[in-house]
Amino acid sequence: MLILIAEDDELILRTVEHKLVKEGHEVVLTRNGQEAIEKIGELEFDLVVTDIMMPFASGIEILAAIKRIGKKVPVIVLSSMGQEEVVVDAFDLGASDFMVKPFSPNELILRIKRLTNK
Amino acid sequence: MSQHIVLHELILAIIAVLVLVLLLIIAVLGYSFYSYRILHNRHSWRQIIEYKIIETIVGTDKNTEHDQEFGKYLKEPSFRALFLDVLVASDRKFSGAAKKAINGLFYQFKLEDEAWRKLRQRKAYLVAGGIQELAAMNVEAAIPEIKAKLNDDRTAVYQEAQYAMVSFQGYEGLEFLEHFDKPLSDWQQLRLLNSIHHIPELSDVQFYSWLKSTNDYVVIFTLRLIRKFRLMPMYAAVHDLLDHPAIPVRVQAIRTMQAIENSTTIRQFITCFDQQPIEVQLEILKSMKVARSRESGDFLKKQLWNHAEVSIKISAAEVLVVLGEVDYLHEISRTADTYDQLIQIIKHALQEKKC
Repeated sequence: MLILIAEDDELILRTVEHKLVKEGHEVVLTRNGQEAIEKIGELEFDLVVTDIMMPFASGIEILAAIKRIGKKVPVIVLSSMGQEEVVVDAFDLGASDFMVKPFSPNELILRIKRLTNK
Repeated sequence: MSQHIVLHELILAIIAVLVLVLLLIIAVLGYSFYSYRILHNRHSWRQIIEYKIIETIVGTDKNTEHDQEFGKYLKEPSFRALFLDVLVASDRKFSGAAKKAINGLFYQFKLEDEAWRKLRQRKAYLVAGGIQELAAMNVEAAIPEIKAKLNDDRTAVYQEAQYAMVSFQGYEGLEFLEHFDKPLSDWQQLRLLNSIHHIPELSDVQFYSWLKSTNDYVVIFTLRLIRKFRLMPMYAAVHDLLDHPAIPVRVQAIRTMQAIENSTTIRQFITCFDQQPIEVQLEILKSMKVARSRESGDFLKKQLWNHAEVSIKISAAEVLVVLGEVDYLHEISRTADTYDQLIQIIKHALQEKKC
């Protein structure tokens, strides 16, 4: 499965990457929203994991871009405490699931499995 | 002869100045190189540390090369200090097994000693750092020493001690509020509020006591707690604060009454309105906007027509729009005896709705 991770925190990005690679997935890493939107346009992802607050474009803008170009890809949103309103916007734009930071990487893997039925 | 001596001295002076400048340049270059080395070290050390953390969280196969490098630096005090910093920052990013793994690293590499050492330093930022690290890593043995820091005069220290006590003990950690006489910043109040997830039963006695505190910050924080946990039985005590001498307390009391409202709230807002200062009156109108109660309709119309303050008239018009009194507002704006200012206010309120 090809998964895109969009996250500007290096430790979270690399931890999720290692965890997903260990589970046998292929991973593409992006450290800002703009880069993530470009990758989504170029490649066919099976899943996107994105942070909400990122440089150049937010997770919400990524969701809007996915909707605009008409791609059907499940998206898991990682949000921080106090971003509840943004999470509602994310669901309106088609997010499949969300997790609040601090989060458990093991739980993220379980949610990915549930979303992709694998 | 004297001219020759002067020239000689001048040349010597120029040489001396040049030597000094040269020495200064060497010192600046040396210091820059030293700073660059530290910065470079910190960057590469951070990568090594983060790799160690990822390896521990994910449980990847051991990389002996990385382990050797990690072991090599582990004896350096500045590396250990950075390791502790990164570990505490990482602890805030993960939960569950990952958090436990991070905690395990803290004990495995005996970083506890570093944190204890900081706690016993003199400089406020070091003490605060030590408290933060011991609390993040849940070192319960540190509770008595951290508790003693609650009375420290330095803001950074007592605030970190408060946060640590709440991290360790939850609601029980708020015990310090009983005799607290210093400021409690909004940021600190938010940190404490976010760390409290449960209020035990029979905590009313403490709440009543904190609401009577002579420290306004304690009263305001208690009101925020009441709002967060929707503590309905505290309603009457909150209502009593509408006579409090401090305006910020009254404003918070209004917000809290709205959050735990009952069938009498709007009537109570209307009854006390005229005795309140403008700031509180504006807060009452904001609460009425949230409550959307038809009961406030006539009262709002009265304020729109008769209140002396423009800000109150504007707020009243805005609430009337929210209550669906758009036709009434259109009608009075077209009436000949409505004065110009009121027409402008109504247009503004109706425009706001469209936006």
